[in-house]
Amino acid sequence: MNLALFRHTLKRNWMLLVIFFGVLTMYMTVMLSMYDPADMAGLLAMMEAIPAGLRAAFGFEALATDLTGYLASWLYGLLMIGFPMVYSIILANGLVAKMVDNGSFAFLLSTPNTRVRIIVTQGVYALTSLLVLFALLFGVGVFSAETMFPGELDINAFLRLNITTMLVNMTVMMISFFFSCVFNETRLSLSLGAGIPISFLLMNMLGGSGPGLELLSSMSIFGFYDPRKIVAGASTWGVNSIYIALIVALFTAGTIIFNRKRLPL
Amino acid sequence: MINVSLLTLTYPSGKGVFELDFTVPKGAVMGYLGPNGAGKTTTLRALLGFMRPDKGKCHIAGLDCIEEAPEVQKHLGYIPGEIVFPDGMYGDEFLSFMAAMRGTKNTTRLKQLLDMFELDPRGKIRRFSKGMKQKLGIVAAFMHSPEVLVLDEPSSGLDPLMQNRFTELILSEKALGRTILMSSHIFEEVEKVCDTVLIIKNGRIVKQAEVQALKDSQRKVFALTTADNSLAAKTLVAAGFKAQSDASGVVLIEVAGGNVDRFIKAAAELTVQNLSVKHQTLEDIFIDFYGKEVK
Repeated sequence: MNLALFRHTLKRNWMLLVIFFGVLTMYMTVMLSMYDPADMAGLLAMMEAIPAGLRAAFGFEALATDLTGYLASWLYGLLMIGFPMVYSIILANGLVAKMVDNGSFAFLLSTPNTRVRIIVTQGVYALTSLLVLFALLFGVGVFSAETMFPGELDINAFLRLNITTMLVNMTVMMISFFFSCVFNETRLSLSLGAGIPISFLLMNMLGGSGPGLELLSSMSIFGFYDPRKIVAGASTWGVNSIYIALIVALFTAGTIIFNRKRLPL
Repeated sequence: MINVSLLTLTYPSGKGVFELDFTVPKGAVMGYLGPNGAGKTTTLRALLGFMRPDKGKCHIAGLDCIEEAPEVQKHLGYIPGEIVFPDGMYGDEFLSFMAAMRGTKNTTRLKQLLDMFELDPRGKIRRFSKGMKQKLGIVAAFMHSPEVLVLDEPSSGLDPLMQNRFTELILSEKALGRTILMSSHIFEEVEKVCDTVLIIKNGRIVKQAEVQALKDSQRKVFALTTADNSLAAKTLVAAGFKAQSDASGVVLIEVAGGNVDRFIKAAAELTVQNLSVKHQTLEDIFIDFYGKEVK
């Protein structure tokens, strides 16, 4: 870790985080305001009109009728993965590959800091920013729910949901970060760093849409992630450990490769 | 101070540098010359620790440039050939960021350098002119008073006045005993500041020489106009000189240092209308090496 670099990275990237926080806050509050316990039956009837496969693809099946379950299905099924994924792809590429590609990374390396130290600082920033994002979103969720529907939200389940969702997004971040470390060109870093997470998401959506396709979703990194089960009380220890292991492995591998490779600076 | 031994670093394209072997002693200034694509920047990349060589080693101040890169950087100032600053930064912000990354707190040298180059670092770097960016790069490389400097075309983009300032800076650093390796395409600058030159072509060293020795080896060329130029050329060739009539009706004669007297006496037989001396500059010598095929 290098504090000077961390501050520099924060200064260059906080705006991106604020934008995504703003968008997600908007979605969260709008979703919450649309929740109407009395009207859940009507909503379910409306959902019946959508073909079952399509419903499942968007994670809308098995609709829970309580507030926490409602958030888990509607918000955490797709939006809380999809939007932060865009954030991760943009940030991870900018933290390493973009600076190597345009040559400005030379200035970082012409200071008495090891490559490992620089990469670890960038990676720690990437992970910290997601931690901050989900901590803030958790706060927004609890605050809005308590304001609109006092006592309805199962805060404990909502917290566990946010922790696992954060770990899933950190895994996505580290996939993009890994490719950002591996490639010297933004073109390649982005095509794999964005292509792979997006493919995983599509696989998961397809896998949920029909019988016989479950294999697809279990092959994607989102296969272990089931927001409805988490709020229904399923243990998250195993799932969390898998994601933490993936995060550590990708971060370490990216750092080792970056440390060894030739930089065209 | 800078030690390159049998360095080979090749790219997938087959280009690169091959078995480079040279030393820049402490306190010396070495010019690194060669045509575009000869391998100058590649050599500097190895010295900076950006690229691991296929074979051979580089050392700066006794430290391995790859394995001990962070330690090397403490003693090193570097100006990249193509300076790209991090996105969206302000000039003064960049300088304090570099100081923080290096852990230097003393800003005396920084202020001196800003004055010297008349640079106001405030404002977005993106809006700076090419010359201002170059000045900013120079200031960033010298502000921590490094013992060793590796400079890749350091004065490109500077106006003539600032090029002179830069020459003064190099000379004053040299007086302080700093070791400098600089690539350059400005021969005048090289002639002024460098003790030795290293000429590289197609990834191999074709010449390493002291600048003074190169100057001494310069031959004088006399331009002679006579009543009958072809007769004059014949007479001088007969006297053992290399003489040629050129298109403008002037006879050009190459004379080595010790033969001036003999040349004057031989020319005395002719009806001389005009005689002038053309100095062969170092530039001519360098250009000669640039064009030469390496076998």
